[in-house]
Amino acid sequence: MKGFQGQELTSVIEIDRKACKGCDSCKSFCPADAIDGKYGAVHRVNSERCISCGQCIINCPFGAPKDKVDVVDKVIAQLKNKQLTVVGTIAPAVRVAIGEEFGMEPGSLVTEKLYGAMKQAGFKVLDTVFTADQTIMEEGMELIGRIRHFALGEPSEHHLGPLPQFTSCCPAWVRYAELYYPELLPNMSSAKSPMMMAGALGKTYGAKEVWKVKPEDIFMVGVMPCTAKKFEASRPEFSSAAHYWRTQGGSGNYSDVDVVLTTRDLACLFKKLNIDVKAVAEFDDKDNPLVQYSGAGTIFANTGGVMEAALRTAYFVITGKELDVLEFKPVRGLKGVKEASVTMRDAKTGKEVTLKVAVAHGIKENVKPLLEEVKAGESPYHFIEIMNCPGGCVNGGGQPINPMGTSWLDKVKAVLPWS
Amino acid sequence: MAQYDYVEKAVQVSRREFIGIVGVAGAILWTGAYLATDLIQDRTKYIKMRAQGIYKDDVKSKIRQSHNNQAVTDVYKKFARNPLSPLAEELFHTKYVDRTKLV
Repeated sequence: MKGFQGQELTSVIEIDRKACKGCDSCKSFCPADAIDGKYGAVHRVNSERCISCGQCIINCPFGAPKDKVDVVDKVIAQLKNKQLTVVGTIAPAVRVAIGEEFGMEPGSLVTEKLYGAMKQAGFKVLDTVFTADQTIMEEGMELIGRIRHFALGEPSEHHLGPLPQFTSCCPAWVRYAELYYPELLPNMSSAKSPMMMAGALGKTYGAKEVWKVKPEDIFMVGVMPCTAKKFEASRPEFSSAAHYWRTQGGSGNYSDVDVVLTTRDLACLFKKLNIDVKAVAEFDDKDNPLVQYSGAGTIFANTGGVMEAALRTAYFVITGKELDVLEFKPVRGLKGVKEASVTMRDAKTGKEVTLKVAVAHGIKENVKPLLEEVKAGESPYHFIEIMNCPGGCVNGGGQPINPMGTSWLDKVKAVLPWS
Repeated sequence: MAQYDYVEKAVQVSRREFIGIVGVAGAILWTGAYLATDLIQDRTKYIKMRAQGIYKDDVKSKIRQSHNNQAVTDVYKKFARNPLSPLAEELFHTKYVDRTKLV
């Protein structure tokens, strides 16, 4: 198959031939034109073009596209293995959606209950929101480096890509750029996504300083609102913890993140273990340094969130002062492309800098004009956030399929008098 | 000339009845259209509800900026030195591949 590196998952999503009615709903949500089949005929996914974002899964009225990578039983088996430390790294969007699978309202924030359920199932937790904060430190410093070098003309010790810088948290967007806009890859932030940072950090710092176990005895499970994360975790370059330990005299080869569960998969795992998230005892895990997180990390799950979090830190690093009002309204909300500019005074040189940013979500609808602008060298921005799914990770392809919206046939059925 | 004695049956609908029938038909169509658009509008409602949950988490956090997260500072103090240090580059940064060239 074309366009894959060795070991990578070549197919995450497949369409169930029996369930597909050929209605073309999926095509109207697919950002990569990866669905073949004429209107009325059975459709199939073209894996070479597919970026595994899962929008077809949550938007098909008949539930025909399926996530084919099912590792729930494997994780349950690893949880029973007492030799292993099974670590779950939970993305921010999971804590506002998992409740839906247990009869709660969409948007119910259940962090403590989720920690409690994870504890009961036998997981240790390294919160992805913690590594989201770390992503801001790495990605934010990289951005400030690029601005100081290219916009203010200061020399740089690092190798820096050109401006504007793109965010690199969304694996579907990364694969989309690699497939369809490879000339823009130098603009992509080199920072790993929070999940991959959690993998690398957990198997180095976590193993040494927190859990005090051998890194090869850690089984790292990403808990994500996303099907593309399953693909991301399988990329061969993400074994940097093993590489680090080999330079320290260790041996072995293992991935940073072993497997990924979506929010739906995690709900399925809890149900198999008879854990009810709604009823479970709350647990705040406050002695664990790896679950300490800031509000900036948690908003990564919304469109505009990475940008807002980065601005809070960039403003501090450049001006030496904290922002007075932390809520940065121009990048919030569901408008397709949001732009904003912030003027600040550089504490080091005394110069005024105007930081111009753009936020786009929904590759299908809103991203291409921005990318073409960058390709033509006419982009006025310094930093561009791109999320594949409309609304950001909260509406990711691995989230519960919500009868209120996406699976609208279920909603129609629910109001019929005979059902 | 042939005589046609067929006479169409006269439709006995008064002006008031006509207004009534058209009114009822219109109401039925309008309700259907309203239900359909309501369904479509609902689709973004749960996205907004989840997004509100996330912003709630932000507001209730004690620390609200990444650089003020002490636990992250500790990672750099005890382990990775500072952002973009050689060790941070090795563990927390990556490279991308041009997939158009992979066969």
